[in-house]
This record gives sequence, C-alpha cells and structure tokens, in this order.
Amino acid sequence: MAPHGSCFLLAVLLSAGCKAIASSDQMCTEKEANKTYNCENLGLREIPDTLPNMTEFLEFGFNFLPTIENTTFSRLTDLIFLDLTRCQINWVHEGTFQSHHQLNTIVLTGNPLIFMAETSLNGPRSLKHLFLVQTGISNLEFIPVHNMENLESLHLGSNHISSIKLPENFPTQNLKVLDFQNNAVHYLSREDMNTLEKATNLSLNLNGNDIKGIEPGTFHSKMFQSLKFGGSPNLSVILKGLQNSTAHSLWLGTYEDIDDQDLTLAMLEGLCEMTVESINLQKRHFSDISSTMFQCFTQLQELDLTATHLQGLPSGIKGMNSLKKLVLNVNNFGQLCEINAASFPSLTDLYIKGNVRKLDLGTGCLEKLENLRKLDLSHNDIEASDCCNLQLRKLLHLQYLNLSFNEPLTLQNQAFKECPQLELLDFSFTHLHINTPQSPFQNLHLLQVLNLSHCLLDTSNQHLLAGLLDLRHLNLQGNLFQDGSISKTNLLQTLGSLEILILSSCELVSIDQQAFHSLGKMSHVDLSHNSLTGTSIDAFSHLKGIYLNLAANSICTIPPHLLPILSQQSTINLSHNPLDCTCSNIHFITWYKENLQKLEGSEETLCANPSSLRGVKLSDVKLSCGITALGIFFLVVFLLSLTTLFIFSVKFLLRHKYQNI
Amino acid sequence: MKGFTAAFLIWTLISPNGGGKAWPTHTACRDGSLEVLYESCDPLQDFGFSVDECSKQLKSNINIRFGIILREDIKELFLDIALFSKGSSILNFSYPVCEDDLPKFSFCGRRKGEQIYYAGPINNPGFEVLTGEYQVLLQLYNGNHSTVACANATIICS
Repeated sequence: MAPHGSCFLLAVLLSAGCKAIASSDQMCTEKEANKTYNCENLGLREIPDTLPNMTEFLEFGFNFLPTIENTTFSRLTDLIFLDLTRCQINWVHEGTFQSHHQLNTIVLTGNPLIFMAETSLNGPRSLKHLFLVQTGISNLEFIPVHNMENLESLHLGSNHISSIKLPENFPTQNLKVLDFQNNAVHYLSREDMNTLEKATNLSLNLNGNDIKGIEPGTFHSKMFQSLKFGGSPNLSVILKGLQNSTAHSLWLGTYEDIDDQDLTLAMLEGLCEMTVESINLQKRHFSDISSTMFQCFTQLQELDLTATHLQGLPSGIKGMNSLKKLVLNVNNFGQLCEINAASFPSLTDLYIKGNVRKLDLGTGCLEKLENLRKLDLSHNDIEASDCCNLQLRKLLHLQYLNLSFNEPLTLQNQAFKECPQLELLDFSFTHLHINTPQSPFQNLHLLQVLNLSHCLLDTSNQHLLAGLLDLRHLNLQGNLFQDGSISKTNLLQTLGSLEILILSSCELVSIDQQAFHSLGKMSHVDLSHNSLTGTSIDAFSHLKGIYLNLAANSICTIPPHLLPILSQQSTINLSHNPLDCTCSNIHFITWYKENLQKLEGSEETLCANPSSLRGVKLSDVKLSCGITALGIFFLVVFLLSLTTLFIFSVKFLLRHKYQNI
Repeated sequence: MKGFTAAFLIWTLISPNGGGKAWPTHTACRDGSLEVLYESCDPLQDFGFSVDECSKQLKSNINIRFGIILREDIKELFLDIALFSKGSSILNFSYPVCEDDLPKFSFCGRRKGEQIYYAGPINNPGFEVLTGEYQVLLQLYNGNHSTVACANATIICS
C-alpha cells in the first residue's frame, strides 16, 4: 500500500502542472478547421500536440513561454499569423521562426523581452507586421534588422523610446505604418527623420509623446500619409517644426485628461507653411475665436472640430472655399445658423451630432451649401413642429440625411421637397408625428434606404410610404400594427422595389397570406422578436431564395403544406421559438434535418415541448411516429373482426326480417 | 488502488481553476460617511481602482486611479452602469469612453496585452449621494462586445 500511497501523492503534486497541458488540448478553440485556433488564457507552456500541423492563424496570448527558440513552433510551418501577446517571453533565440516561410504577422505585445537574437526573426519570406508594443524597448538597436525588407508596419508603442532614429541599416522602403504612441520622444531632429527617407506614404504616430522641440528643417519636403501628435501640449512647436512638409492628414487633437494651452492665431500660423488636406483638432480650446483664426486653413479639404467647446463659428471666414468635409460634433451651438455655413460653399459633408445643447434648426441655415451631399444631425434633441422643408431649404443635392435620436418631429405632406435627391434617410429613435393620410416621403423617387425604427409610427396610414418608387431597404423595427397583424391592405403595398424589410420587435401576431404580394423583389426579411406562429410563413409563398429571420417568435408547429415555402428560401432562422418536438410536428422536424445547410442559428433552435425534450437541439431529436408492426397486426385483427361481426349481424337481421313474413 | 485512482480523477476534475473562485473585495475609497467597495467580475483577472476623494457631496470631474491589463484592443470602449438599491433597479446607462471619431481619453486606441495605468479626471457631474446602500454593476467592453473589465461595487452612504 505504501508505494501506492506515494504514487498518489506524487500524482497530486504533479497534477497542477499536468492538468493545464492535459485539459488544454481540448480547450484551444477552433475557429476554422485546420486553419484558425485560439489558445488564449490557458497557461500553456508549449504548443499543444492537438493543434494540426497546417494551422495558419494562431492566437496564443496570455500563456507561459519564457524562452522561444527554433523548436518552439517548428511543427507549425504553415503559420501566417502568430499572436504571442503577454506570454512572459524573455528570450527570442536564434532561428525561432526559421522554418516559417509564410509568416507575415508576429505579435509580441506585453512581453518583458531581455534579448532578441540577431537571426531571431529570420525565416519568413515576407514579414509584414511586427508588434513590439510595451516590450520594454529603450533603444531601437534592440530590434534585429535582418529580414525587415518587407516590413509594412512596425508598432513600438508604450516603450521607453526617446528617439525615433532607426538603426542605420534598417530597411524602410516598404514601411507604411510606424507607431511610437506613448513613448518618451521629446525631440525630433533632422538626423532622426533622415533614417525614414526611403519610406513613402508613411503614417507616423507620435500620439502621447510630449514633443518639446523639433529641429528646423526636420520635415523639410517630407511627405506623409498621416502624422499624429495627439495630446501634445504645445502645438506651436509642432506646427513650426512641420514647415515645408506635406501630409494627407494631420491629427492634433487632445484628450480629457490632458491640460493644454488655448489655441491662438499665432500658434496656428505654422499651418501656412505646410500642405495638408485634413486636420483634426478635437477637444482643443480656441481662445477668442475670430474669422482670422482660420487664415492658414485655406487649402484644407477636411476639418474636424469635434468637442472644441464652440458656441458658433465666426462669420466671414475667408478662403475656406475648398473645404469639403466639416465635423462639428459635440459642440455647444444654440441654433444651426450659428455655424455661419456660408463660409464653406464647397462643403459636401457636414456632421453636427451629439450637440451638448438642444439644437434649433432655424430656417434656411444651410441654404448656401448647395453642394452638400451628406448631413448628420443625429443625437441633437432637435424638435420641430413642421419638418423639414424650411429647415433644409435649397439642399438640392443632399443624398444622405441622418436625423436619428432626436426629439419628436412632425412631418407634413412632401416634407422633403427641398431635397429631391435623397438616397438614405435615417430617423431611428426619433418620434415622428404624421397625420393620416399624409405622405411625407412623396417624390423621394431616388430614396433607397429608409430607417424608421422605433419612430412610433401610425402604421394604419396606408399613404405613409407613398411615392417611394426606388426604395430597397426599409427598417420598421419597433413600430406597432393594429391588432398586431399586417393585413391584406397595408402601407407596404406601394414599395415594389423593396429588397430588405425589417419588421422585428413589432409585437406582430399574424401576417395575412396576401400581405406581401406586391413585394416581388424581396431578398431579406427580418421578423424576429415578434409573436408569430407557423401559419405566417404562408405570406412568403410567392418568394424564392430569400433570407428569412423568424427567430424569437411563438412558432410551435409548422404544418406540412407550408414546408415547400421554406424549402424554396435560401436561409432561415428559427432559433428561440417554442418548437414542438412531438409527432404532431414530425414533418417539419424531418424537413429541418434534411435542410440543415439552410438554417441559421441551429445551436439555439431548441425543443420546448414535450418537457422530456425541452432544451434539446432540434437537429438532435429522433422521433419515430410511424405505426409499429404489432400495431398493424392488432389493427388488421380488429378490422377483420369488425367485418365479420357486420356480416353476421346483416345475415341475422335479414333472416329475422324474412322469418316475420 | 482503484479507490485512489477514482479519488484522484474526481479531484482533478473538480479542482481546475478553483471552480470559479471570486476575486477579493477591494476598497476604492472610504471616509467618514461614504465607502465604496468593489470586486472584479471578470473571471480572467482582477484590476485596481481608487477614487481620490470620497465624499457624500460628490464633486464634478473627480480624479480616479485605474490599473489593468488589457485583454482586448480598446479603439472603441463603452461603459455600462446599472445601479440597484434594495434589489430594485434605479438607473441604467451606457457611456462611450472611446470611439473612432472621438477618443475622449489618452488611453484610447491602446492594444490587447498592454498594461494601463490611468490617473486623471473622469468628467462626471457632481451630485449628492443619498443615505443608503447601493449595488453598482460596471462593465467596460469594446466594439466586439468583448469584456475589458467588469466590477460589482457596493456603495455605503451613512
């Protein structure tokens, strides 16, 4: 017994270590067979044997690999993407990836690297993305330069880097993204920048670095895709330093947790000396904003002034003729006219969402913007008793209008006469008052997408959607219908071009068989989260190859004569219904198993009845509902005896009758 | 021996990960009349949190300290708060912390695996906490609805 006892003790002692490996084999989750696996958070000390050799994408973060070397991943030669986030890696030894020719992304984020060998990243024929975020790097010489010829992005955020100067022989010709977020770079010199000379269209991210100085000429005739100096307290240093440079976009915003100086005209003067198309100044404060403040913004195409504490824009800003896109989200306007839109005659996109105060649309405040294509006025507490012709006056080319998440709006007949080119209109979560029989959307002949979800519509108004000849996509989620039913005559009948219809969460109980008859082009119908029963399927008899979502309804049984209607569709979701798994539903259950490839959400398509099968997946149910041999025998015997009895009784009756004569 | 093997098997089956052991309860702040306790409800990890000033008359824009390891990218980050008192729900709201078009804080955009330490203001409104005991469920999640942090907090105001 003694040896057995010690064996047990030994087993117990070892089990802590063995357990992780033993149990983990099953625990890596397969996302795509033989290709993509996630083994995160399993405390693994090696690659599990169960991972197939041909694994291509491996997420292996939050495990334990203090040393990685040529044997660590040698079996998985087909790797393309390898994520080793926070695996407590100290050492990356010679030739770790020597047999991984396909590897293009290595993620080493959050590892306390002590040393990477000279040849540690050799092997991959085209290593494109390298993440060395928060690995304790203080000197860029730490990164092995071999095999970096194909590198497109290098992520070096949250380290202790104080100079962006790359090692002299570091190949940068293919580099597109260089990310130095949250480091300790305080100074940029010409020498630093010269190491990046060969890179074209580079995006350089210096967010979260307190830049205190830039050597004159550092950016001279340099071109960038994007430059980010987010959170820099001193913008004038940066703008002065960027002299004679070209950047497609320049991010100069700041954050809630950073104290910064107010922007002055003098600070922004540097912008006159550079070429830039798009600027972001989010969360900055302007001191004493006047029309001259923007005198260096004349070449600009996009300007983002999100949350810049604006109560208005000065009138008479000159030279902003080429501005195409203006973002004024999360500011403090009282009335739309306070943005003085006339300064931006070329504007095509205007975003004013999430205004801090209740926004008054005024009258014709945007009428000078005759090129406007896209207008976002969502989340503004806008309220209007007669929308929207006065408010949107002369926006003849408007294609996209977002008025979602506002206060109640009243729409009259032809409410969008001023914007006949509208293609998309979003009113979700804005309460709409439309009196019967008004048709607010009439003459929007080009409208393709209309979102009316949660608008508390009066759906009994048959004319509500009149005139929408080209409407493809209609969302009516969360609106109610009379008696919870869509009848033969309904507001959808005029929408002959409709392809996508969303009627989820409308508390529907029934749909008339003829309700959708005029909608012959539909390809996607969402009726989820209602109280529909199986008979509603009849409404789709004229449609083929559609996506039909009937999830979370009250479907118990589906009668056999409706199954061909389901068969002719391409995808069906019946999950979260109280489905009947008794013999009364056997035809449907048989159909279900034969058509599994058509069914979406089959993991959540469960039986509710009988109680013995509650919670069982429909695809796993086995029912035998035919009559058994014994049953047939008894039935035959019973029928035979019945016939015999009948013959005898007839004989008896006849005999009895003739006896009397 | 069979008995031992069986016992061993059962033991190994039951014991992994301590069978849902809870993280310890920490004190976020405590002073005369107000006490805030919290525990992490993310099964994967604990986190550190403290409030600089703890007072019944909560000031606006208070400073906090927060330390955590990110298990997800936080280019987009949302906070859900559910407040309960005596078992009934008083308040629910959702607040965007980081969005693509408005990264409010300097830590927005940091990556999975990064360790974060934040000491700074949170831009809250000032209000008075009424006497009583409250339960608060706080959830931080990213654009894919993956949990970044989860806290069960208790506020005791006397």
